[in-house]
Amino acid sequence: MFPFIYGFQWNVGTVIFLGLFFFVAIIIGVTLIASMLRTRRAMRTRSIDAIRWEIDFHDLPISARACRHELSGELPQRTCDNGFDCRSCPFHAQCLAQQATTPETISSPSFETIYGFSLPSDRMYHRGHTWIKREDDGTFTIGLDDFAQRLMSSPDSIELPSVGTTLELNGKAWNMKKGDSSLRILSPLDGVVLAAGNGLEGWFLKIKPVASIVNTNHLLNAHEAALWIRREFDRLQNLLSDHTLGATLADGGTPIPDFIAAYPDKNWDKIYCDLFLEV
Amino acid sequence: MDKRFIARGVTRTSQKNFFLWLLPWIVLLIVGIYAAYLCLAKGLNQTNMDNRFAFGLWIYLDLSVIALGAGAFFTGFLLYIMKRKELKAVINSAVVLGLICYSGAVAALMVDVGQPLRAWFTFWYPNVHSMLTEVTFCLTCYLTVLAIEYIPILLKNRQIKNIPSMLVFEYELHKVMVVFAAVGTFLSLFHQGSLGGLYGVLTARPFAYRPAIGIWPTTFFLFIVSAAAAGPSFILVTTWFVSKISKKKLVRPEVLQELGKISGVLLFIYIIFKSIDTFVWLHNIAPSLGFTAGDFYRYGSFGIWILIVEVVVCGWLPAIMLLRKKVRSQTVWLVLAATLACAGIVLNRFVMTIQTLALPTLPFDRYLTYTPSWQEITMFLAVLAYGVLLYSCSFRYLTLFPQERELQSA
Repeated sequence: MFPFIYGFQWNVGTVIFLGLFFFVAIIIGVTLIASMLRTRRAMRTRSIDAIRWEIDFHDLPISARACRHELSGELPQRTCDNGFDCRSCPFHAQCLAQQATTPETISSPSFETIYGFSLPSDRMYHRGHTWIKREDDGTFTIGLDDFAQRLMSSPDSIELPSVGTTLELNGKAWNMKKGDSSLRILSPLDGVVLAAGNGLEGWFLKIKPVASIVNTNHLLNAHEAALWIRREFDRLQNLLSDHTLGATLADGGTPIPDFIAAYPDKNWDKIYCDLFLEV
Repeated sequence: MDKRFIARGVTRTSQKNFFLWLLPWIVLLIVGIYAAYLCLAKGLNQTNMDNRFAFGLWIYLDLSVIALGAGAFFTGFLLYIMKRKELKAVINSAVVLGLICYSGAVAALMVDVGQPLRAWFTFWYPNVHSMLTEVTFCLTCYLTVLAIEYIPILLKNRQIKNIPSMLVFEYELHKVMVVFAAVGTFLSLFHQGSLGGLYGVLTARPFAYRPAIGIWPTTFFLFIVSAAAAGPSFILVTTWFVSKISKKKLVRPEVLQELGKISGVLLFIYIIFKSIDTFVWLHNIAPSLGFTAGDFYRYGSFGIWILIVEVVVCGWLPAIMLLRKKVRSQTVWLVLAATLACAGIVLNRFVMTIQTLALPTLPFDRYLTYTPSWQEITMFLAVLAYGVLLYSCSFRYLTLFPQERELQSA
């Protein structure tokens, strides 16, 4: 194998064969070592929450990753590949530029309710079912949207971050437990926690944003959120159905306050995972 | 109790049922390990192999599982290099199957070759003119690649990914998976070929000998294409089988159809070349060595039927079936065709290993038969048991089929 080993001969066959073998072995070794070094560097330079979100996002079902321009009906189908961060999405920027130059843009009726779910128009909505509301003093209030509240109804426990904790967009904002399920609620914004509520007042956290100028372009306005909630409601119905009947006509009515009470036998852990973007 | 290790959003059977499923396989594995111990401690006299039948059940097992395990490298090649994204649905399962097949083959080889303490000799004093040396080097490297490819799947376990360093390592490994896919493809092409070439160079065995194209006999190329054709079919069949046993939808039907289509195209190419090779062998090569077709197919149970089954029933038939969209759209026919394709390749490896050695070559030779000893059979079954155990645990605790959660209702 090596020139100093007994019986080694310098000939074409030996050089080609061992050359290829060592080449492959070196590639495997170098790639593995490079991954370890990159891991060490990434742990120093990037936050774990950001990496976790990147991994989780790409593992989400395609139905959960619909682009906001698909929700709005501008496109028949488009799957987001940018972690729902429209601020750095070139496609979103292109769409906004087109809308600005098009005289007649898509009409934006303001919804306060959709399918019985409340969607106040003074808030921006995150795809993890949280909302933010800008306060007069420049801080933001964070809460769960009406759809999520009906899914969780009365959680068994809520684990909120302490005052002073820094939240990262799409990182963990707080934890909730319901039955056997533990749920990680994603933060809709970067910021430092100023106060923690308990949800009874309608909000969970008050935060001070990290940046002086807050860009909320990654969040949905009430109009977009209404279209998205309609999609989420369809997904929920699909998850709750047993797939034996096929499509059925809705019989009207408004959603009940506690979905779990109506479907106690369903796998709610799966439903929570799917609808709250957990993998 | 183990629920916290099971991926979220999917359901698995109870721990008790899982243990009962594993129990017989564990027993089989233990018996096989005892048989391996006997072979390593007392030597190959524990087997029914001899100087004439130097290749037996274990080598047949090795060749078969390595051919079927080719699904791992070929799926990786199609997904990471050819960008066939739809195959993402089965890549994890393919890697686990590949790892099982290759590690099982290496384990069987270690017992067959014996003297495990001197295993490093093959690397330190390699015979660079031997096909087997090339096979040894490639198998070792590729098994390492498969083990590395298994790491990200393992690190995505629900509990392990909560450890930040493991999460980031998985993230970084995933980024370089294309390199491992390329290396795996390179290694697989060579060792699959060399396993075939091993038989093609046997000039003293007219049943196996084939002329060279360049420096390699035709069997070198036939083994590569046949493994690439059987691999996707094996993934298709195992996915369907696991789906039936677990009573869960694991992938969309289109994924199985795509696997069937890929397998069908490659099988069609393979069977054309195999037919030409067989024709040339029976009409030119064998007669030039003093043999007729009848000489090869008149001993014991090795009648002409075996050639017909291999080439027509398990070659042309599944190739044509898999090429037809109408057949692929019906799961029963799709799975049947894929099973036939796998059976054809396994039969080919049987013929090349066992029939080659059984047939007489010289006028004073006689037809030999060989029946494996209980040690050989239990070792064979232990490799199967090891595969079932590793796959079952991986299926339970890891995400082998990313589409499963989406396809399952709450």
